Amino acid sequence: MKKIYILTSLLVIPFLSHAASAASQLEGSFKVGPAIILISILVLFVMVGILFRAKDTTDFYAAGRGISKVGSGMAIASNWMSAASFLGMAALMYGTGYNGLAYVVGWTGGYVLLLILMAGQIRKYGKYTAADFIGDRYYSQSLRAVGAIIAILISISYCVGQFAGIGLMFKWVMGIDYTWAVIIGGSVVLCYTLISGMLGVTKNMQIQYVIIIISFLIPLFILSYKFDYFWLLPQIGYGSAVSDAISGIPLAETNQLVNSLGNSFAIVPVPEFAMPWDTATGKTFFQWVAIAFSLMIGTAGLPHVIQRFYVVPKASDARWSVVWGLFFICILYWSAPVYAAFGKLLSANPEVGQLSPDAIVVYTAQLGSVHPLIVGLLAAGGISAAFSTVSGLLVAGASAFSHDLYVKVINPDASPKRQLLFARLGTVLMAIIVTIIALFKLALIGQLVAVAFSLAGCTIFPLFLLGIWWSGSNKQGAIAGLIAGGTVSIIALSYFIAGKMGVSWPLHEFVDYWLGAWYFAWIGAPLAILANIIVSMLSKETPLEIRKFLIENVHS
Amino acid sequence: MDKSPEKYHISFFVPTTARAKANRNMVLWLVSIWFIAIFGFQILLRVLEKPIPETTFSIFQSVWDNTISDSPGIVELQEFGKTTLSVLGKVAITDSERAVLDNALSWSLYQLTADSLKEDLVIKIQAFEKIKLEIQTISDPNYIKAKELLSAEYSPSLNLDPLDVRTTILPLELVSENIYKLTETARESVPSIMEKYLIHNQSFLTDTKFLGFPFHYFYTAIFLLVLFIGLCLIYCIKTDQMNSKLSIED
Repeated sequence: MKKIYILTSLLVIPFLSHAASAASQLEGSFKVGPAIILISILVLFVMVGILFRAKDTTDFYAAGRGISKVGSGMAIASNWMSAASFLGMAALMYGTGYNGLAYVVGWTGGYVLLLILMAGQIRKYGKYTAADFIGDRYYSQSLRAVGAIIAILISISYCVGQFAGIGLMFKWVMGIDYTWAVIIGGSVVLCYTLISGMLGVTKNMQIQYVIIIISFLIPLFILSYKFDYFWLLPQIGYGSAVSDAISGIPLAETNQLVNSLGNSFAIVPVPEFAMPWDTATGKTFFQWVAIAFSLMIGTAGLPHVIQRFYVVPKASDARWSVVWGLFFICILYWSAPVYAAFGKLLSANPEVGQLSPDAIVVYTAQLGSVHPLIVGLLAAGGISAAFSTVSGLLVAGASAFSHDLYVKVINPDASPKRQLLFARLGTVLMAIIVTIIALFKLALIGQLVAVAFSLAGCTIFPLFLLGIWWSGSNKQGAIAGLIAGGTVSIIALSYFIAGKMGVSWPLHEFVDYWLGAWYFAWIGAPLAILANIIVSMLSKETPLEIRKFLIENVHS
Repeated sequence: MDKSPEKYHISFFVPTTARAKANRNMVLWLVSIWFIAIFGFQILLRVLEKPIPETTFSIFQSVWDNTISDSPGIVELQEFGKTTLSVLGKVAITDSERAVLDNALSWSLYQLTADSLKEDLVIKIQAFEKIKLEIQTISDPNYIKAKELLSAEYSPSLNLDPLDVRTTILPLELVSENIYKLTETARESVPSIMEKYLIHNQSFLTDTKFLGFPFHYFYTAIFLLVLFIGLCLIYCIKTDQMNSKLSIED
């Protein structure tokens, strides 16, 4: 016991002595202005949800297929711009410099693959969910069930990061404990999803996109203007801030600028912020490449992303919605590194102490003395980002639970009313599981979300890629691919969870490095594809009706 | 694609229609550009890079042996203290590394202080440590005053220019614990900490400036995203053109 006390003292006392505490000063207590903004936005979301609520299962799953390509692009962007994009990406760049850019590249570059390899074909295939596609294409109810379970696992994994982000922002706005913040925030997003379903979600996503992007951009203009960088286009103007971080800012050149805590805008040179795979960050070239690759193929395998292509009327709309979606996404992704750069400069003084990287977007605005109401809007934008993604994920998970597991496997005669009931039951169950996991704070938001990408890259991506482009891929091949990808996933995630629980398994250093939880798809996906091809070639040919469907409907 | 009744077959790499062939070629082109633009550049960056030390690291190397000798020189101790401050000013360092460098910095200042004033130095640091634990916010006037006094009094000992940013860091990093000695942990780990934080992978791609950015940073953070949108745009336009040419409705 004494040892634990001494160890705790050693770890905690130096931290406390430094942080007397800037972090707690920035956190503060209940913030009235931001709380009003947040509540207003949430009320708006729920009202839109009620106005456009799902009337039947087609509405719930696929919004009646009546969304335009620009609207769908906005929904894709909103669906995509999660807490990981809004809060997590700046956190990763703030903490690991150039390595964080692997996430920027990974989370955008994947859309190129998604578009040219899948988007139009997925729409032409005409199914509601990823598991639907897998079950039909590989003519197997068991694979449909497995696909549904994987979709649920991916959705849960993805949601955990979002709930963590919601918790952080609710904590900041309300000045309450993180646990309660997660529970309250989670309950609100659950209620909203239950009321609205996908149609409300899609409409809401367009509104959420506008709120997210405005709230994210306004502080950037203010920060760039205040600290004398090219403010008309902060996404370019911050280049000089990056260079300043590399060379350092002498006290004589700060023009007496200070952060909100009174620290000078001076900084010693920190080239590790921008130099590639710097030893100071502990990240390597391999990790950069593995993260970018895993995130890109994961993008093309995420059920809730794939599902967005079912809600446009035609295949060409699906394609154009990706272009629009990517453009809208990039506006945020060009901007997130600006927060990391300013965050680095404004928190450089050791007096600021250790700040939670996941909240660095909000802290940066605060340290830059941005008006509290605008910071409040920023926090509300972060919550909106998490909300828009969570609602899409819960719908995707609920679809997998109700449509793919219950209706297609367990009870094919279920009435539409009963299907909807099960969809809602699935949503509640998922939200409870996610809330519990989010309370453990297993990793940074961006990293938690990246786990879902690797999982999708190892399992769903190979099935879609080969299922669409090679009629030779058959049921046996799909099973072999899933076993290969699934095995890699289980090994990587088991070691990750064991490590978090303080258990040190044999070869843990090797596995932790080469099969890191956020990038194990770099090897899992190629192995799954290879296994699928080899076994397919060695086993019975794909049935004629499937091949015929591929030619006549998907590639016609 | 082979559309004979008995053998329907589709393979991306073996297209059997003009449309499929054109699509395959376009996809291969786009994926190649995509792949080379992302990973080709990072590989190039990796190939060209060289570990370049910051000036501070060279200074550290030149004074370290003398610093840990039995009779370190004043200039060496001053330079050593300043190099520790250069690393302590970096946000990224861990708590354990900070503890090591805090000891090294405090010890070097202690060594530089005249024997008659050493006791006074320790008392002042302890008083400031007490204030740090007691205050509610870092805007506390007593805290600010004590911090500024400490900085003003001891920065000259390290030969720090008043306009050197490290003068603002100095009071925050002084610790009274083990100030009398450079701990064994510090002796062992200071060189590796310095190496970790003061050597960076650089090349002309990182040193060239473009629109204010280091070029590699601009390329990855800005240009690649523009390229992705461009590739998607080209694909959509070309596909629509192909479809309208072949009167395909999708």
